[in-house]
Amino acid sequence: MKYIKPFISEIPWNYSWYYCAMSLFERQDGEQERYLQANNREFNTRFGYPNNTIKTSRYNVFNFLPLNLFEQFQRLANAYFLILLFLQLIPQISSLAWYTTVIPLMVVLSITAVKDAIDDMKRHQNDNHVNNRSVMVVMNGRIKEDKWMNIQVGDIIKLRNNQPVTADILLLSSSEPYSLTYIETAELDGETNLKVKQAIPVTSDLEDNLELLSAFDGKVTCESPNNKLDKFTGILTYKGKDFTLDHDKLLLRGCIIRNTDWCYGLVIYTGPDTKLMQNCGKSTFKRTHMDHLLNVLVVWIFLFLGSMCFILAIGHGIWENKKGYYFQNYLPWEEYVPSSAVSAILVFWSYFIILNTMVPISLYVSVEIIRLGNSCYINWDRKMFYAPKNSPAQARTTTLNEELGQVKYVFSDKTGTLTQNIMVFNKCSINGMFYGHVYDKKGMKVEVSEETEKVDFSYNKLADPKFSFYDKTLVEAVKKGDRWVHLFFLSLSLCHTVMSEEKVEGKLVYQAQSPDEGALVTAARNFGFVFRYRTSETIAVVEMGETKVYQLLAILDFSNVRKRMSIVVRTPEDRVMLFCKGADTILCQLLHPSCRFLRDVTMEHLDDFAVEGLRTLMVAYRELDNSFFQAWSKKHSEACLSLENREHKMSNVYEEIEKDLMLLGATAIEDKLQDGVPETVTTLNKAQIKMWVLTGDKQETAVNIAYACNIFEEEMDGMFIVEGKNNETVLQELRSARDKMKPESLLESDPVNIYLTSKPQMLRIPEEVPNGNYGLIINGCSLAYALEGNLELELVRTACMCKGVICCRMTPLQKAQVVEMVKRYKKVVTLAIGDGANDVSMIKAAHIGVGISGQEGMQAMLNSDYAFSQFHYLQRLLLVHGRWSYNRMCKFLSYFFYKNFAFTLVHFWYAFFSGFSAQTVYDTWFITFYNLVYTSLPVLGLSLFDQ
Amino acid sequence: MKKTSQICQSKLPDNTALKQQQLPAYRLQLSATGVLSGFFATGAFCLGVGIILILSAKSIKEIEIKYTKICANCAELREDAINFDKECTCSIPFYLSETMQGNVYLYYKLYGFYQNLYRYILSRSNSQLVGTDLKDVGNCAPFSKSHNGTPIAPCGAIANSIFNDTIILSYNLNSSIHMEVPMLRSGITWWTDKYVKFRNPSAINLSSAFTGTAKPPYWSKPVYELDLEDTENNGFLNDDFIVWMRTAAFPTFKKLYRRLNRVQYFIEGLPAGNYSFNITYNFPVTRFKGEKSVVLSTLTWSGGSSLFLGLAYTVTGAVTWLAAFSMMAIHLMLKEKRTLFIER
Repeated sequence: MKYIKPFISEIPWNYSWYYCAMSLFERQDGEQERYLQANNREFNTRFGYPNNTIKTSRYNVFNFLPLNLFEQFQRLANAYFLILLFLQLIPQISSLAWYTTVIPLMVVLSITAVKDAIDDMKRHQNDNHVNNRSVMVVMNGRIKEDKWMNIQVGDIIKLRNNQPVTADILLLSSSEPYSLTYIETAELDGETNLKVKQAIPVTSDLEDNLELLSAFDGKVTCESPNNKLDKFTGILTYKGKDFTLDHDKLLLRGCIIRNTDWCYGLVIYTGPDTKLMQNCGKSTFKRTHMDHLLNVLVVWIFLFLGSMCFILAIGHGIWENKKGYYFQNYLPWEEYVPSSAVSAILVFWSYFIILNTMVPISLYVSVEIIRLGNSCYINWDRKMFYAPKNSPAQARTTTLNEELGQVKYVFSDKTGTLTQNIMVFNKCSINGMFYGHVYDKKGMKVEVSEETEKVDFSYNKLADPKFSFYDKTLVEAVKKGDRWVHLFFLSLSLCHTVMSEEKVEGKLVYQAQSPDEGALVTAARNFGFVFRYRTSETIAVVEMGETKVYQLLAILDFSNVRKRMSIVVRTPEDRVMLFCKGADTILCQLLHPSCRFLRDVTMEHLDDFAVEGLRTLMVAYRELDNSFFQAWSKKHSEACLSLENREHKMSNVYEEIEKDLMLLGATAIEDKLQDGVPETVTTLNKAQIKMWVLTGDKQETAVNIAYACNIFEEEMDGMFIVEGKNNETVLQELRSARDKMKPESLLESDPVNIYLTSKPQMLRIPEEVPNGNYGLIINGCSLAYALEGNLELELVRTACMCKGVICCRMTPLQKAQVVEMVKRYKKVVTLAIGDGANDVSMIKAAHIGVGISGQEGMQAMLNSDYAFSQFHYLQRLLLVHGRWSYNRMCKFLSYFFYKNFAFTLVHFWYAFFSGFSAQTVYDTWFITFYNLVYTSLPVLGLSLFDQ
Repeated sequence: MKKTSQICQSKLPDNTALKQQQLPAYRLQLSATGVLSGFFATGAFCLGVGIILILSAKSIKEIEIKYTKICANCAELREDAINFDKECTCSIPFYLSETMQGNVYLYYKLYGFYQNLYRYILSRSNSQLVGTDLKDVGNCAPFSKSHNGTPIAPCGAIANSIFNDTIILSYNLNSSIHMEVPMLRSGITWWTDKYVKFRNPSAINLSSAFTGTAKPPYWSKPVYELDLEDTENNGFLNDDFIVWMRTAAFPTFKKLYRRLNRVQYFIEGLPAGNYSFNITYNFPVTRFKGEKSVVLSTLTWSGGSSLFLGLAYTVTGAVTWLAAFSMMAIHLMLKEKRTLFIER
């Protein structure tokens, strides 16, 4: 959860210090190793482990005042005013009444304190909510419900499906075979795909036998709490034997149990010791350029103030020497002033007090108010409200508004951001036959429109009424009983991870983790292959009205590396079948040589699909020999149980069975563009904002979308594709692109080259102007080479000259790397916009992260700085709110410094007439309230309402 | 009830001018002619006002006579504090070539006297001056108490350093008849000073009211004997005292001393002729290289003889015009270029 963060500029320093100090402190008296015994609270309390209470709040009732004041006085301006206050208490140099500084200081401090208090109250509430959640604990052979906060190290707890994990626990046993447990780690690392954890066999035998569980007295020796999410080493000593433990056995707090009815775990780390909490401290604060500028300005003002006081002190010394000495008849020197030099030193401090109005005490508060106001405008904007979802735009941080007006590069995800991410099964190719085009009576191809007649699915009672399809030939093929078509749809209805819900008889609702899968299963459902329900061992499919139960033998799950998933089932006819669907690039290498001809035809169709911007998948099957499968199954379970290098072994096993596949066909799913995307891109382009699309999709699809939404235009002067598979070719491709765009930039005499060679630690690459409009397309694997050291520079120079850049086949990490790269080399403000968990890294890396609350969950939104529902709101965010915020902030700063200087310099000039005696021109109350009351409103008014 | 639940459901932001940033706003559409005419108009206005102010200030008749050098022997005498009780007078004859019409005011002017020093300004007791607490001399250092410890009334450096020269203007009708010009010593203070900020302590008579206090060290008479002719003009309510207590902002300042009582010969003002100032020289200024002068002046609607305001207006107007002309020149040049460019 993010809260309004006041005074962001100082906080990073403060808090990093704070947390460093904390962790240092902990480490010093902290444990080297952790010892614990299950079900033995007495033993475990000896080590004084914390209980499972978490505390994200910083204050309580008693320490709020001192702690908050201490934190506030770490800020430069506040500390300065505190020093001033002490100076004023010295009568010899006090030149202003004490209240002139006390009142503004009190007001500013109390505003901030109130804000902090409100924030902290929210945290308290949140903490209380979390701490009071209930969980089931195994106690003396019975299951007892207890609050989260009462969980101790060494307790054994029971978790159910979809429950969040209470603490970092060692998995003991679960309902699944081999004690596998599926978890979702979205809250920890943002990945939504399920991960598998597995208990060691000796504990998985405990199963859900409460007596055994409460008699379990294994001792665990493990490392002390740390923040490494993917590392854990420990030893379990049970029945005199040692078992090694690694992070595969550990369920971390923050994960959610999925697809597992129950599991038992031994609590290892609790509360503040959990890896989740250990990772919490260093939340990165995004600082704006403006914050940096403010701090620099304040430092300069201090210097200026010092020099002014110095000049005045010298003037005073001279004056006292020349005039004051002889004026003593009327005004004798004080006894403690033996000479004019001493007097000058005192006057230095007196002026230091008088000129205090130059240091803008209310600056930070005012900046906060303005930012808050401008954030509210974003929240209030009706033009950024998306009615179908009832969701207004949301400024989740209040500190980045003015940065919005300076954005130079926009990094956008494709799916769900540029497109709606509502997947519709649109076309398919089955056994070399193309389905999905609509022809009229004359045999001419027609565009699908509102009037086009939809296919009638009334023969199928379980059909989804929202699904629409226009090509009748496919339905006819299904009705005719075409074997290949049937097999094709059967594979679609079997090979997936979708869950079904049937609350009312006949009304199926599919819960799909990825919308693609949902679209495919829905398509199969409408054509008569209805996926009805699944258990852990079976899948029930209604095939043309006839329910068949397939025995589920194995799921070879999807991963970003494999890019395919397979399922092995035993059909009711007792055949063992493997169905596989996956990316065409991968799958076509695994096909049986006999379907080469079919492959070529299908590939042609796939190209056609891609040209239309459709997302494609290939579907294949393989009939397995029973004995072969038995042998494989053994290897598979061995690999499942292996402790070391399991993932590698598993993928090897998978590869053994996923080969010699028979091609069935390919699917094409349409992902429509969101409203107003091309217009927005054009407008942003006009505003000199460059648009990069970073997507995990394949090149053809990405390029098509890019054309569709005007990132690439037909009349562009050239298009470069970088798809080299090694350093040299990538370099070659980048260079030749640059050669075409700006030939002189390759010469050594080019000013940029000279600049770069003269400054090896170069700060930023200057802007280079190409001789036309170009586009660049770069492939994920080429990007991996390009992102390496010496090629980065080439990549940035080439890519930044292009009008649009498409990076396809990207991993989430690469997205972040690209953003980081542009940030580093160009020193401009970047914005990343995305909707899925795979965009989180990029959203966090960019100066400004924008989350689209779309189909793919809340991950992106929760990590973003701004969130809304439609891509085209970006235009309004940047060009209206951003521009206004930036303009207002600039005007505000100028105005603010102007008014303070105008006010303070009067005293400087008056010194020359008043014998440099620190006499003020204005009444003290006027000085007190000048910044706080008299002038704050016009300044704020200007900066909130100026247009 | 139904209505409220509907509002809760919809998160559509309110359509108010504030929230939608549609408050009426006006943006200046700056055009070259608009800006230039604005500049010229402002410049003309400033120049006009400035010239009027200067002329009006020039119309004032003013005579200033510095008498520190003229009364050099007195000045020398006063340099040594031992001679404080020796009286020294000094007569300064001058010829008024033109009649000073209307109200004429007599000022004394000090050069290089810093009434604006921080410690000097602080050195007074307002509670004492307003008559509530005569013993309150808290801020008056270094002139808060006399040697024997009695509080000084009025205390402080300001009161102590009061201007104590006596200036008498006499009109020399001819070589034998010397007539003292009638002067009013009332009505020379701010109303608030005379009636709010300065009050005498309440008692049957002033001398008893000030018992238990000492006179400031540089004063020759106690505060209740400042004006022997007019008993009302005594104590803290003495006009000269009040005028002095209102400290000047700059080291060179003039303070109102007397105003002409327009009777007899002087009904029209001061007629031309021979005059002389008879000055009892008490106030030492040579120690700190200061100077004293006496000023006779009339007033107009725009105030005194100061040229500052008029000059400020004139200079501002001139600068504005200068800017306007240069902008016009640039504008014309660019316009020419642009038309050339378009023609091409």
